[in-house]
Amino acid sequence: MSVLRSEWTKLRSVRSTWIAAVSAVGSCVALSVLGASDLLGTAPSGIPAGWDPTAESLKGFLFAQLIIGMLGALSITPEYGTGMIGASLVFVPSRSRLLAAKATVVAAFGLVVGLATSVLSFAVVQLMLTGADLPAAGPGDPGVARALIGGTLYLTLVALLGLALGTLVRSATSSLALLVGALLLVPALGPGLPGFLGDWFGRFWPTTAGQAAYAVVPVDGMVGPGAGLLILIAAAVAVSIASHATFRVRDL
Amino acid sequence: MTSPAAGIRADRLTKRYGGRAVVDDLSFTAEPGVITGFLGPNGAGKSTTMRMLFGLTRPTAGTITVGGRGIAGLDDPARTVGALLDARAVHPHRTAAQHLLAYAQAAGLDRRRVDQVLDTVGLRDAADRRAGEFSLGMLQRLGIATALLGDPGVLVLDEPLNGLDPEGIRWIRTLMRDLAREGRTILFSSHLMSEMELTADSLVVIGQGRLIAEATLDEFVRANTTQAVSVRAQSPAELARALQGAGVAFTAQPDSSFLVTGADSATVGTIAAAEGIALDELARVRESLEDVFLRLTHDITEYEGLAA
Repeated sequence: MSVLRSEWTKLRSVRSTWIAAVSAVGSCVALSVLGASDLLGTAPSGIPAGWDPTAESLKGFLFAQLIIGMLGALSITPEYGTGMIGASLVFVPSRSRLLAAKATVVAAFGLVVGLATSVLSFAVVQLMLTGADLPAAGPGDPGVARALIGGTLYLTLVALLGLALGTLVRSATSSLALLVGALLLVPALGPGLPGFLGDWFGRFWPTTAGQAAYAVVPVDGMVGPGAGLLILIAAAVAVSIASHATFRVRDL
Repeated sequence: MTSPAAGIRADRLTKRYGGRAVVDDLSFTAEPGVITGFLGPNGAGKSTTMRMLFGLTRPTAGTITVGGRGIAGLDDPARTVGALLDARAVHPHRTAAQHLLAYAQAAGLDRRRVDQVLDTVGLRDAADRRAGEFSLGMLQRLGIATALLGDPGVLVLDEPLNGLDPEGIRWIRTLMRDLAREGRTILFSSHLMSEMELTADSLVVIGQGRLIAEATLDEFVRANTTQAVSVRAQSPAELARALQGAGVAFTAQPDSSFLVTGADSATVGTIAAAEGIALDELARVRESLEDVFLRLTHDITEYEGLAA
């Protein structure tokens, strides 16, 4: 408990945490509104079948996930940058306990920021769609609550992934590079690979698969929401285990 | 102090990076109630030794323990041993109080300790200022405050005098004296002999990771400094004859005084008195400790050419 309190103090006492949290929510809402504004002026009849207003309202995840991933990374990389990690381990010699406390605080904070991001984006875009007389989703519609929870969990897992990557590479810049690669580049370029590889990246690359968790209408060629979330969880767990193993044995 | 102070003991401690030994078969002790100065040129392995004490760096061989236990084996590490490893290791956006609070919470300490240690180091007024605005001297004080948080019986301070102004140096000397008088074990490092001379009771001198000397400051001075006496008489010729007659070695100095290396000042005074020679000056001269230190570490200082 005491280490959790300490990690929370560390997280809340730096401005970048709050800037990142506000930016994640704000950028997601803005990007989702921008994405949906494309449709304003379209007649309801012009909306294609199988259109998913919920997924539409969460399009801003594309950018927000990077910020949330960096929130996770920034809970450890400045400790390496400044050298504070040394003193942290003097007060908490058990490296596993220190890292577990960081992961817990990051998960809790990621959950709150992820929920705010998902719900606000959803609400603003649905209001906008309603105002434009387009088919909008309501929170009570089938699958919507599940998708919002899925989106929240997706962002939380990305925050944990950020922490694990930050622990591995010990630098904010390298963490950002890895996150851009894992969250943007591979999902964009991987499916273009020939044959089996392209299919695999298109379906099973963990962050691509995880995106199924916040869709209401299943997308062709994608895994189901439950399976997608499980794949992302498995990936986050695997990277976390690797980072923990490294953190335990590495000289500082 | 929350628990009785234990001593620090390094036993054949070795750290190799690749084939290079940074710390090489190093054994020494630091006892309670004593300020032990850990002296060596930059790159001698002082920081690595201290980091091994806290498990931040793993020894290739040997052990370094507090009260016979490694850091991982301590029941309550924060109340047993405190550290200042790097004064610059602060997040620039965090205030001094927040910085200390995070550590106090980590160790389950009462949050009132934050104000107490800020008072001790004279940073009460800067408690709510961001550490990024601090001078190196203030950061050293914040680092000392961090080390004192758990009121530990053992304090390990890496270059605590670095960056302090004369007033700050005096302050930390007094503080270390007081803490040692309370029975605490204090191990502090420096690459400057002059910092040791007025502060340490005991010395552990290393170079290139190896032990050069382990002794009390007095023993170290006696064993390593050459005693000499500077003497000047109104008639140097008479004095020279008297000294020659007594079989005492001396060399003439440019200012017409003699530097006597074969006898102490009392002997020289007696010789002069016996001959009825009036002396203008009779003084003991000591090779400075800085010179001794440089001489001792000279042969094994790896980067001597670069450091100069």
